[in-house]
Amino acid sequence: MNFLPLAHALASRQDLPVPAWLFAWGASIVLIVSFFALAAGWRTPRFEQLHARPLGAAASRVLLGLPMQVLCGAIGVFLLGLAVYAGLEGTEAPDRNFALTFLFVTCWLGFPFFSAIFGDLFRPFNPWRAIGRVAGAGFQAIAGQRAAHASYPEKLGRWPAAIGLLAVVWLEVVYGKGGVGFDPQTIAVATLIYSGYTLAMMAVFGVEEWCERGEVFSVYFGMFGRLGIFGSEDGKLVRRRPFSAATTWATVPGSAAVVIASIATTSFDGGQEGAFKDAIESLTEWLEGLGIGLTASLRISGTVFMLLCFAGVGLIYMLGIRGMRTVPGAPSLAKLRVGFAHTLIPIALAYLVAHYFSFFVFQEQAQFTFLLSDPLGTGTTDLFGTAGSGVDYSILSANAIWYVQVGSLIVGHVLGLMLAHDRALVYWPDYRNATASQYWMLAVMVAFTCFGLYLLSVANG
Amino acid sequence: MMDAKKLTMVLLVLVVASAFAACGSSDENTNETNGDESAAVNGGFEPLADAPPGYSKVAGEAELQRSGAGTTVSIAISGLEPKTAYIAHLHTSGCDQADPGGPHFQFQKGGSEEPPNEIHLKFTSDANGEGEAEATSGREVPVGEAGSIVLHVDDGSHHEMAAYETGEAEAGTALFVHEGQHHDEGSGEPKHAHSDKIACAELEGTPTGNQETPIASGEVPTIVVRNGEPVGGIQELEFTAGEEVRFRVTSDQAEEIHVHGYDISQDVPAGGTIEFDFPAELEGIYEAELEELGVQIAELRINP
Repeated sequence: MNFLPLAHALASRQDLPVPAWLFAWGASIVLIVSFFALAAGWRTPRFEQLHARPLGAAASRVLLGLPMQVLCGAIGVFLLGLAVYAGLEGTEAPDRNFALTFLFVTCWLGFPFFSAIFGDLFRPFNPWRAIGRVAGAGFQAIAGQRAAHASYPEKLGRWPAAIGLLAVVWLEVVYGKGGVGFDPQTIAVATLIYSGYTLAMMAVFGVEEWCERGEVFSVYFGMFGRLGIFGSEDGKLVRRRPFSAATTWATVPGSAAVVIASIATTSFDGGQEGAFKDAIESLTEWLEGLGIGLTASLRISGTVFMLLCFAGVGLIYMLGIRGMRTVPGAPSLAKLRVGFAHTLIPIALAYLVAHYFSFFVFQEQAQFTFLLSDPLGTGTTDLFGTAGSGVDYSILSANAIWYVQVGSLIVGHVLGLMLAHDRALVYWPDYRNATASQYWMLAVMVAFTCFGLYLLSVANG
Repeated sequence: MMDAKKLTMVLLVLVVASAFAACGSSDENTNETNGDESAAVNGGFEPLADAPPGYSKVAGEAELQRSGAGTTVSIAISGLEPKTAYIAHLHTSGCDQADPGGPHFQFQKGGSEEPPNEIHLKFTSDANGEGEAEATSGREVPVGEAGSIVLHVDDGSHHEMAAYETGEAEAGTALFVHEGQHHDEGSGEPKHAHSDKIACAELEGTPTGNQETPIASGEVPTIVVRNGEPVGGIQELEFTAGEEVRFRVTSDQAEEIHVHGYDISQDVPAGGTIEFDFPAELEGIYEAELEELGVQIAELRINP
């Protein structure tokens, strides 16, 4: 039975499970750190303002000016086109085709990792935004007026992005499991369909409006970008206090669903070869017993478990929110739900790093060697003389990977607690109540972090 | 100053933390290989359901003793016909197989069907219908391959009579006592009908599929590929970085065996065996697969 996650299709190497002693250390450190966080919390919010400093007029002019916007947009469109072309015309071997590694590793993992440090890097390169803006400018030049847009239903908020996020990961790790359906052609076609859908939505609701709320990649990458230190304010490039921009991210409805979807999908992919393996196999066999084919059974059980992860992660968050509601002076449930969603962004990032860090490092070697020189994987081109290079798996030892995995979870845990503590100070003027409310968020964070550690310790078991 | 509530928190945290630590360390050493290799495995003969008439009272004992220098197998059986020649063979599977014991044990698989490549025990029963036999080999039967011993009448036709049970929970060894001197041809299924077998003594039983292959010193794990599939599922082989990765692949059809990550390939001819032997430099989990079919046959775990 082919029952393999994404890493199998591309890299054929997987991480060893985190050993028991490191699991124990990680969990112990998390709990001890959490206690100190409670005891040593500051009393005035530190991240609720941006604390942004402009970076100088010259830098803003060069980096945010129209020529740079055009250049970045053109690069984005070119790379998207290259990926689609390689997918349609190139080899069927997933690991030899530029399309899959570029879209699902370089972009899908690279933008979150680097945006979390530097700020939203996807926005300038977003190919659909670039096309949409050019189309808008063209319309204005011809019609002599700006295109009229339907007003976006406010209640819908970021739900389209949350559902889109589930759909993208579903395509990758459920539909495409074991390479069945996860082939360059399918992904190229899916990319074209998504492009058509996105451009249509931009035409209806406006480019920026849709990027802010419905466009999966803008919303998802932008979420991590809120942790980063660079941003733009009124056309000026600014350096802001790390994590401070995250505090205003979740005010759009449905944002909590986006970050919960992120944690849930990573959990699902991390657990399908470990923690959930037996349960998924049982369900698959049961479905097969009903006379459903193997591929369909695998996909149905994968879908069920992905949705269960989404529900489970959401439930843990909601329990924490309900708990906080019991603290005297608490704001409404709705306000709490929105108000603490951003505190999960570091957890989502930590999960991504823990599960995909080594995969990213190894697969980017392929990206920048043979996939760049021979994007179609047909063996007929060698643009940069690196078509014959391979991936050097010796550059990361198992120990190094384990420390990064456990370290990222601990750091994510601490950042999440910090943001939650900060937000509690805003909602509860009384410091004692603010601290009391944070027992609940502490429980939520400990649950996520220990669950993350557990997933790593039984991964690929 | 720390108030009582916070103190309680500290204690709680420490208790939980130590609980985590305790849980974590408890299963660290569970994967050790099966220890003492000079130990004996024992089993009791029991008549087979399909045994020829008159053998329902067959009973006896079998013992397989491994030492560094080789293997000694001994049997003692009662309830047989008086003054009759019997033969018992060591088989690779347990007594509960459809064909009790499965194929004969062979040191070199697919090799000669006679001792010393197989282990046979011949004897003639006394006037009371009792008999004993012992066989020694200069080679050690690998742990897990001595499934059972099956007994036959040694009259040129094949009869297996009784099987013994062993208490050992390892992989399986069985010695079968067959009648008659001809054995299965090749390494395939035994040809004789069930009713030829009189009794079977279970030693190590039938190897359970998909288990971690225990790697005893000096033993090279072999992955058997039949019809483009690894027998017993994807084999999990564990090595430590810095050691040699050594394993063999036997295939009934020609294939290319590819070890990912290390990017090492070897062609195996139809019915042939190849051996991989390379230093374990890269840590992590790597696949070995049949390159043409794209079927994974093994997972190499290289621990630091």
